[in-house]
Amino acid sequence: MRRRTFLKLAGLASLYPTPLLAATPAREPSVVGVAEGKDHAQVTRTALTLIGGMRRFVKPGDVVVVKPNMGWDRTPEQAANTNPLVVRAVVEEALAAGAKKVKVFDRTCNDERRCYVNSGIAEALRGMKNVEVKQIEPERYRKVPLNGAVLKEWELYGEALTANVFINVPVAKHHGLTRLTLGLKNVMGVMGGNRGSIHKNIDQALADINSVLKSHLTVIDATRVLTANGPQGGDLADVRKFNKVIVSADIVAADAFATTLFGLQPADIGVTVAAHRRGLGELNLDKVRIVRG
Amino acid sequence: MKRTSARLSQYLFLALFLVLFVATEYRGSDQLWAAVNAFFRADPLVAVSYLLATRSWSWLIFPGILLLLCSLLLGRFFCGWICPLGTLLDLVTGRIRKRGAVRFLAGNFRFWLLGGLLAAALLGVNLVGLFDPLALLVRGLTLFLYPLFGDAVRQGWVGLYRLLGDGRDLLAPGYALLRDYLLPFRETFYPLALTSVLLLFGVFALEATESRAWCRRLCPLGTLLGIAARFSLVRREPAGLCADCGACRQLCPTSFDRELLQQEECILCLDCQLHCAQQRVRFHLVRPAATDGAWLPERRALLGGMVGGVLLVGGLRFRVPEAKARLLRPPGVRDEGEFLRKCVRCGECMKVCLKNALYPAVFQAGAAGLFTPIVLPRLGYCEYNCTLCGQVCPTAAIPNLPVAQKRREVIGRAVFDKNHCLPFARKVNCIVCEEHCPIPQKAIRAETVSEIDAQGKSILLREPFVVDELCNGCGICEHVCPLEGKAGIEVFAVQDHTPPLLPERRSAPAEATVDPYR
Repeated sequence: MRRRTFLKLAGLASLYPTPLLAATPAREPSVVGVAEGKDHAQVTRTALTLIGGMRRFVKPGDVVVVKPNMGWDRTPEQAANTNPLVVRAVVEEALAAGAKKVKVFDRTCNDERRCYVNSGIAEALRGMKNVEVKQIEPERYRKVPLNGAVLKEWELYGEALTANVFINVPVAKHHGLTRLTLGLKNVMGVMGGNRGSIHKNIDQALADINSVLKSHLTVIDATRVLTANGPQGGDLADVRKFNKVIVSADIVAADAFATTLFGLQPADIGVTVAAHRRGLGELNLDKVRIVRG
Repeated sequence: MKRTSARLSQYLFLALFLVLFVATEYRGSDQLWAAVNAFFRADPLVAVSYLLATRSWSWLIFPGILLLLCSLLLGRFFCGWICPLGTLLDLVTGRIRKRGAVRFLAGNFRFWLLGGLLAAALLGVNLVGLFDPLALLVRGLTLFLYPLFGDAVRQGWVGLYRLLGDGRDLLAPGYALLRDYLLPFRETFYPLALTSVLLLFGVFALEATESRAWCRRLCPLGTLLGIAARFSLVRREPAGLCADCGACRQLCPTSFDRELLQQEECILCLDCQLHCAQQRVRFHLVRPAATDGAWLPERRALLGGMVGGVLLVGGLRFRVPEAKARLLRPPGVRDEGEFLRKCVRCGECMKVCLKNALYPAVFQAGAAGLFTPIVLPRLGYCEYNCTLCGQVCPTAAIPNLPVAQKRREVIGRAVFDKNHCLPFARKVNCIVCEEHCPIPQKAIRAETVSEIDAQGKSILLREPFVVDELCNGCGICEHVCPLEGKAGIEVFAVQDHTPPLLPERRSAPAEATVDPYR
């Protein structure tokens, strides 16, 4: 397992918080792990190992938020929500790494009860110890100063802000306005208020939010994806099986790589470009270390 | 109250009623196991008005007809053994000082009321739900008391968060039990909430005149059952007060303010039998015998009521066309007239509606449509995969449809208002409506156009448009439109509720094999 050890080290190195190095152009390249296979739980675990394993992110005693996309009243095979197998694998890994508590939630677009049930995620996590699958409670929103390019402040979900580790687990899919929705856009699920109103300037607004609410780890579910009529879909003819899971500590690099699966260039997605310009991560995949497994 | 079979039965049915009421809500399963509609299906007044108004048979009202037939044999046992409103009245009446009957009500007013309601039903305006005791009770609960209860508990829970912060999580399991099994999922504030609770309060206030005043003097269901009770084979022996005692005068909740037991007012509580010091009183079955022939002595009142009903129907016809344009009925309702003939106005659909799209009509549906459900998309939308309103409707005024069929039922049709819609009016991107449109092939689509924005810059803009043939008017677009106040897209009523064309009949051959609604 020398290769794996090396990869773990590489992953670790990429995560090392280097405020000094960050100021200089020569920093360690971002690492993106890409695993492929039919067993989506296993693919998720493999992908995590590729960038050094969950223990690099979750320390014993941590409170971890796992934020899937479960915004729609759609079934798992319709690919509008994150694959429940992927979510469960991430939660299991977080627990195995010593997480004290794992909280799973999303602010849904359709009725929250139906979304939690029909996404299959509530069922997949049922009965797991130290795991909370809770619907959003509005009193937990907190007004947070963002001082961003377009958003000065916004209500963000308290439990997402206070967690030790925020793991962003989007499903990769088509979107009518932003072309694709990936990790950066999935963070909309912790926004309160009239979030539809940020659509008029969504690239900058999402960069604003992601600058404050950082995803420590992004796990993109591209096991089955919507290639059209997203983000809600509903027609199985629009669903393709990529059987891939993409993980990275660099949300922009993860999004950039996932974009290529759809036959697009990272620079085609305005949200990713805006986030990169904000210094949230690496857009140019030539500068990213892609580790496949 | 004393422990008797009648009392026990009353408590059991009240408990059943409350359990069914709380069960009338989505709690994780697409199909409800039961709902409070069971009480309405066994409601003879609902059944009779349904028959008169629709002039057609439905097995849904069979229990109601059955109960009416039972009442022909047994009398008004429903009122003394089953009716949850009657039970509630019995529970409070002991604490209310009596002032004596209101003269106006002591006469034949109840026959005027029943006659009027039934005549109106015969003419296609079914107003029975306004005065049906079960509907009064469910509406009072649904539109006011239950949301109030939910809100009070929730505010307490939120208050705990302000106090304890995340420490409140320790109590979360207990609250989760309450929330999952007892509370309404979300508190909705309804129009007519106060009206509906005041009507219910009025029923209780009548107890200040005499016990069971509503049941004796007004209740159209009780009056109907009372007419049936005249044929009842259950008779009290002795029929009148005994000269040497007269204790029944105090014991009887309904009838013994006269010398003779009024068969049509007796609710068979059997208190007189239980407490008769001389053990003289008993109830027994008699053979059907020819009576004196005065089965309908209130002919004048009934006929007068019917004429009143006819006049009422004429007077309730007024409607403005603009209101009609916004008269969105629940999914599956295709004909307004048929809907008004069937709707009981019980409010169950409003209670069960997942996204609180349904509200009682105040004036939108005309005076005859008071309390009937309408969709207000700005407040809530019809959830694509949900069929709950059809499941709970006691008379299938909202038909109970399989989900595949319900998805294509046309509530109305969405129309953009380009003076408000952001991409058109402000030249900025938005299309939140397109994102939320639940039709898999999108009834709202967007095209990319080059535009000059307000700063004179050339930009690419996504301009939305509606595909009429696919839109079912669910209203999620209007609901989620991020504009404040008036939405940039709104749902309007349509005349033609034919479900959108199946794809094989659509012109685009490429989509011929794909069902856009699945």
